Amino acid sequence: MWDVVASFFADLVSADNPLWLYYPLCLVVAVAYKATKFDDPKRIVLAALHFFVSVTLGMFALAVVFYLIARFL
Amino acid sequence: MTPTEANPRSPVAALVLGWVLPGAGHAYGGRWGKAVLFFLAITGLVVAGLVLADGTNLLPRRLWFAAQVCAGGPALALTPVSQYIASRGPIDWADPYHEMGTLYTAVAGFLNVLVMMDAYTRLAYPHRLQETADEEEDA
Repeated sequence: MWDVVASFFADLVSADNPLWLYYPLCLVVAVAYKATKFDDPKRIVLAALHFFVSVTLGMFALAVVFYLIARFL
Repeated sequence: MTPTEANPRSPVAALVLGWVLPGAGHAYGGRWGKAVLFFLAITGLVVAGLVLADGTNLLPRRLWFAAQVCAGGPALALTPVSQYIASRGPIDWADPYHEMGTLYTAVAGFLNVLVMMDAYTRLAYPHRLQETADEEEDA
C-alpha cells in the first residue's frame, strides 16, 4: 500500500505534472488574503506561511484519500 | 455609506478604483504598501495565467470570463490580445497548462473581489476592523 502512496507523491512533484503550479498560486493567495486581515508585515508573513502549510497539507491529505478510494474501491 | 468628517474618503470610490486597478482602492485609502502588494499579486496572477495558457484564455465567450473580469483593468486590457492570439489558430483546451492558466486568472479575479471588499470595509467601518484585529491578537 505504501508504495502506491509513494508513487502518488512522486507523480505530483515530477516536472511533467502541472500540479506543481499549485504552490505559487496558493502562496500568492495566502499572502494577499492575510494582508487583508493584518497590518503588521511580520504578522502577515507568519500568518500566510501558516495558511499555506495548512492548506497544502490538507490538500495532500484529501488527495491521498481520493487516490486510495479510486485505486482500491 | 457616505464619507464622514473624520474620513472624507468614499468607500464606494475605493471599491470602484480597486476594480479599475487592483490595489488602487488601498492606495486611495492611503495604504500604499498594501496597494503595491495587491497590485503585484493580482496582476502577476493574471499575466502568469495568460502566459501558461499561451495567451488564449481571456475569452469573453467562456463562463470563466465572469471570474476573470473581476480582476479589472489588467484582465480587460489583455482580453483583446488574448482574442487576437486565439483567432490565429486552434486552442488545445485539454492541455493541463491551459487549464492551470485559466485557474490562475480566475483566482486572480476572486482575489480582487476580496481586496476590493477590504478597501471598502477599511473606509466604511474602520473601528470595527480594529476591534476584530484586537480580538484575534488576544486569541
